[in-house]
Amino acid sequence: MKTVAIDTLFTATALALSTLTAHAEYEQVNLTVFGMDCAPCAHAIHVSMKGIQGVNTVDVDLNTGLVTIKLAPDNHAAMRQFNQAVEKNGFTHKDATVVARGKLTGTASAPFFEVAGTQDRFALTPAATARDISPLLGKTVTVTGVLPQVAKGKTPDTLRYNTIAEAQ
Amino acid sequence: MKSLLVLAYALALPAIPGISGIALAADHGPVFGYATPVNSQRELSLDSGIFGRYGSRGTQFSTGSLFGYGVTPHLTVSAFLPASFGRGSLPESRMTDGGEWYAGASWRFLHSVTTVGKRIESTASLGLVVPGPQQDSGILGTLHRAPGVAGSVATGFASRSQYLWAGGGYTGFAERSGDRRPDTISWSGVYGYRPVKLRRGYDQWDYRGFAEFTGEHTGNVRSNRLIVPDSSTTSLWLGPTVLAIFKDVAISGGLQAPLFRDASNSLYGREHIRFAINFSYLKYSSHTSSH
Repeated sequence: MKTVAIDTLFTATALALSTLTAHAEYEQVNLTVFGMDCAPCAHAIHVSMKGIQGVNTVDVDLNTGLVTIKLAPDNHAAMRQFNQAVEKNGFTHKDATVVARGKLTGTASAPFFEVAGTQDRFALTPAATARDISPLLGKTVTVTGVLPQVAKGKTPDTLRYNTIAEAQ
Repeated sequence: MKSLLVLAYALALPAIPGISGIALAADHGPVFGYATPVNSQRELSLDSGIFGRYGSRGTQFSTGSLFGYGVTPHLTVSAFLPASFGRGSLPESRMTDGGEWYAGASWRFLHSVTTVGKRIESTASLGLVVPGPQQDSGILGTLHRAPGVAGSVATGFASRSQYLWAGGGYTGFAERSGDRRPDTISWSGVYGYRPVKLRRGYDQWDYRGFAEFTGEHTGNVRSNRLIVPDSSTTSLWLGPTVLAIFKDVAISGGLQAPLFRDASNSLYGREHIRFAINFSYLKYSSHTSSH
């Protein structure tokens, strides 16, 4: 119940942000990190994330392992950079919840989401009930969803979306 | 004397996680015992500490600085610069630096992350110990000094609430002009705890307490191709330490008292207590590759 409420709030916030920052690519990344036991661990993650061009704010919650990254409009930060920032400090990244703006390509049966300004390209799959997204093909959309955990040095190839809407 | 020698060698080894031959705490770990943390990739660390030993022949202080650099997330290279600034009447002290330079590497060869805030890991270290500019005192001071090799292995568990590490090390020295310093085997066990109220955000001071158990056995001293009688020692130590960290600085300190001591009083005197304080500065890298 609590998780659903948080997800709803996150989605609402994300969509609100997307209209305010229409040119942003990744707008927010919530990354779960395993292995951080102490304050210096969190500080190291904070410093590494802040070193990524376009990152506005970083918050690290040691007790939940959640790293919340908010990005500036027109950034070109890629998912690989966030994962690298975790790996270089000796920790492990798990699933990431993202709010991103990009182009919907592919076909109705095999859609892809391309994050403008980066090389990130994900196959889109619905997290819950599938919806008809064919009218959005070729358009710029804002997506909220989950990038599943991948091995170190890799970037996810699938984005499980919760919401998708034409960008304003 | 015997116990001091033991202490010197044994303590010296565990003090810096993964770095044998130096008795100096390092940023994330305990003060005296072996531990597993290594630097992040491109992280620079500087540890400077003061160690004291109080015994029947007086009080002795020594100090030194350890520089570390994270080559990869699991490989750190280090160098130790000894800088003893005072000698008490306790001979045979090699507790902190032994007047020796050290250069080596620590490799975290096992790194298992099980859940939020927890990890299990093991680290091995290997380094070269080279006699420094300052001569030892007591029995060791009469010996021709030669370089040695120091190695250690530590394994353990870290979490938001508790820490547990165990480790052991070995230091062996070459022979020179018929003299040879004693080989040393050392070991340690460390338990750490962070109270619930102190499991807070990283923008506040992070405190934890440790109970540190250490022990060591030093072999016989060889002088003029002869073994010095009764120069082998064994001792066990136990005591509390505290570590406080705020972002990129850390302070740790503590003391230990002997649990067991098998050493010649006539050679080494009787050591009653050890204490240490260590300051650390950690420079994390913000470097990230472009996409």
